[in-house]
Amino acid sequence: MSESAASSTTFVAAPGPAHAGTVDARSVLADRVVQLYSQLPLGIAGTVVVSLVAAFELRAGRYAELVALWGALVLFVSAARLSLYLAWRRGDRGATDPEQWLRWLGIAALASGVTWGFAAAVFFPSHADEQQVFLALLLTGAMAGGISMYAASWPMYAAYAAGIAVPFTYVLATFGNRLFTEIALLVPAFYAVSVGIAWRLNEVFDSGYRLRHAYRRLTEDNAELNRRLQQQLTELAEARRQVEASGRKLALFAERSPIAVLELDPQGRIREINRAAELLFGYAPVELAGEHAKKLILPKYHEEFDAQWRRLLETREPIARLKIRNLRRDGIGIVCEWTVTPLVNRAGDTVAVIAQGRDVTQELEAERLKKEFTSTLSHELRTPLTSIIGSLQLINSGVMGEPEKDVLELTTVAERNAQRLLDLINDILDIEKIESGKLTLAPEALALDDVLREALVLNRAFAERYRVRFELRGELPQAPVHADRKRLLQVLTNLLSNAAKFSPEGGTVEVTLERTDGRVRVEVHDRGPGVPENFRARMFSRFAQAESALTRQKGGTGLGLAICKRLIEMMNGTIGFADRDGGGTTFYFELPVLQAPAGASPQETTCHPDRSAEFSTSKTR
Amino acid sequence: MPSRPLSRILYVEDEVDIQRIARLALERFGKFTVEVVGDPLQAMEAIAAFGPDLVLLDWMMPGMDGPTLFRRIKEDERTRHLPVVFMTAKASGAELAELKSLGAAGTISKPFAPKELPEQLRAIWAALPD
Repeated sequence: MSESAASSTTFVAAPGPAHAGTVDARSVLADRVVQLYSQLPLGIAGTVVVSLVAAFELRAGRYAELVALWGALVLFVSAARLSLYLAWRRGDRGATDPEQWLRWLGIAALASGVTWGFAAAVFFPSHADEQQVFLALLLTGAMAGGISMYAASWPMYAAYAAGIAVPFTYVLATFGNRLFTEIALLVPAFYAVSVGIAWRLNEVFDSGYRLRHAYRRLTEDNAELNRRLQQQLTELAEARRQVEASGRKLALFAERSPIAVLELDPQGRIREINRAAELLFGYAPVELAGEHAKKLILPKYHEEFDAQWRRLLETREPIARLKIRNLRRDGIGIVCEWTVTPLVNRAGDTVAVIAQGRDVTQELEAERLKKEFTSTLSHELRTPLTSIIGSLQLINSGVMGEPEKDVLELTTVAERNAQRLLDLINDILDIEKIESGKLTLAPEALALDDVLREALVLNRAFAERYRVRFELRGELPQAPVHADRKRLLQVLTNLLSNAAKFSPEGGTVEVTLERTDGRVRVEVHDRGPGVPENFRARMFSRFAQAESALTRQKGGTGLGLAICKRLIEMMNGTIGFADRDGGGTTFYFELPVLQAPAGASPQETTCHPDRSAEFSTSKTR
Repeated sequence: MPSRPLSRILYVEDEVDIQRIARLALERFGKFTVEVVGDPLQAMEAIAAFGPDLVLLDWMMPGMDGPTLFRRIKEDERTRHLPVVFMTAKASGAELAELKSLGAAGTISKPFAPKELPEQLRAIWAALPD
């Protein structure tokens, strides 16, 4: 018996193999330990009380010392059981190591049984008949009482009861009394029945524990499910709140926006309009609800609208910047620019169409006026200027007869200023064309060296006016470029005339042309006052002119360099300036070299050594 | 290049001031014989009467613009051979290219420099086929 009590599995009704080692089996075991230990104080109390009563009854006689010894043994075992109980309570109640606690309790149960067996073996033979009856009752009572104590573990009960039954049966059988011999046969039977009952109870407990655990797990699962459900509900509520908030926000956007917004159904009928649309068309939302959008479009454009609508429904792609001639309630036609977006559901059906538009009538009118103004500038201003400049040139040339010196001075001033006005008009027209994207270049294969020579000839007269001469320095390399000849001349003229204007009287403007890997670079060096520090950043901006008496005196529109920059950039080049050692400024631009077609061998041009002299202009006045 | 030098020019221009300047420039600098027509609708008659070597045509004119008159000249059997040069302040590159392809001899941009006008016309004349 003691062997089996020491085995960890002895006191446990072997669970099915499927449960072995599972958390479930362990927690059932822990429950069993709790059940057994929690009954322990009652058992100890019962044992002590019954033992004291027995000791009192058995004290008389020859074996008083033995009775005292037994009582002490019972008290010792009870004390041991109590300390075990207290140790169990102080700890985690056997949760971590239920097998160990079960084993210790099994030993205690066996010890408890053995104390009763000791009483049977020692006191039964030595006492009188009535005391023997008392003892027999006591022993059977102890055996029966143990059932409830140890029912949670039938092997434990079997060990405990065996501690009583084995010595008792032995004492009865060897007493030599026929009645006692017969009783001796009954004790094992009683033992067997009691163990059987304990086993049954054990089973009941077992299934009870399992049910409890299953229930607990169900409850836990349920609680988890509830928790998740709660969380999802919270999330759902939050999502709904957000949707509502964004809905309100969208409604606000649509309501307050200056853009007219119309919701149309897939047939083109109006569902809803916002405030801006009300104001734009002059209808209340209820007046338009259910009406076809064509009510807001000039009849002669209905066909075009139908075509666009079909396209929209087919492609399901938004149409942006669609200009439509709309009709207001008061019959006035306006031009609106619309962005039309189909709303498509998951099934791919267009459920609604949102049209957002604004009145661009005035913008278009402004654009038209601007064009008209540009045209006026171009023609109406240039025509009289043609007459003025032409007349003055004829006078100043002397072909009409030599004018008086004072008169010539004045007509020269007049011609120069008329020319300046013409330059300004031309520059404004250029800037306007560049900014509206209407300036187109006519690039062709050009020899930049030739264009440069031509520019020097064209600007020679201008330089002479400032008593400045142009000097071409170094040898001119062959410089094929892909550029617009007229515009290139314009850029060169601008740089050369600027350099001439700002050079000191009698000065020289040096011009170089270099070719380095893939690029050609033209540089125009002057000995002018240089570029003021605070003006550098704005050098190529529109109407950029350094604030000084000098620039006012020199004239110019302030547009020239801005135009040059755009023109050079349109020809894939770069333009810039740098200070020059010893004073003055260098303006330069670079253009990519036009690659010779495959197979064509590059041809070096020979440069005249006296080329620089060719373009030098002597002082004429 | 035509075998004889350029000498008779018919100038169609509605602006009186510009007429005067151009005439002076062509006569004084260029030593040409110049006939000026102010009304483009009378241009065809003037061409027949004057018999110019070259017609100088303003682009924008009331009544009939330069390109229309140009087409009329080119449609007429008797005037088809005449070289026509446009004077223009605003024609776009595409329009000029179209006119050239139709047979315009050249273009002179406005405002023109009176001193250079005769030379420009002589250069265009020199570039003409026989």
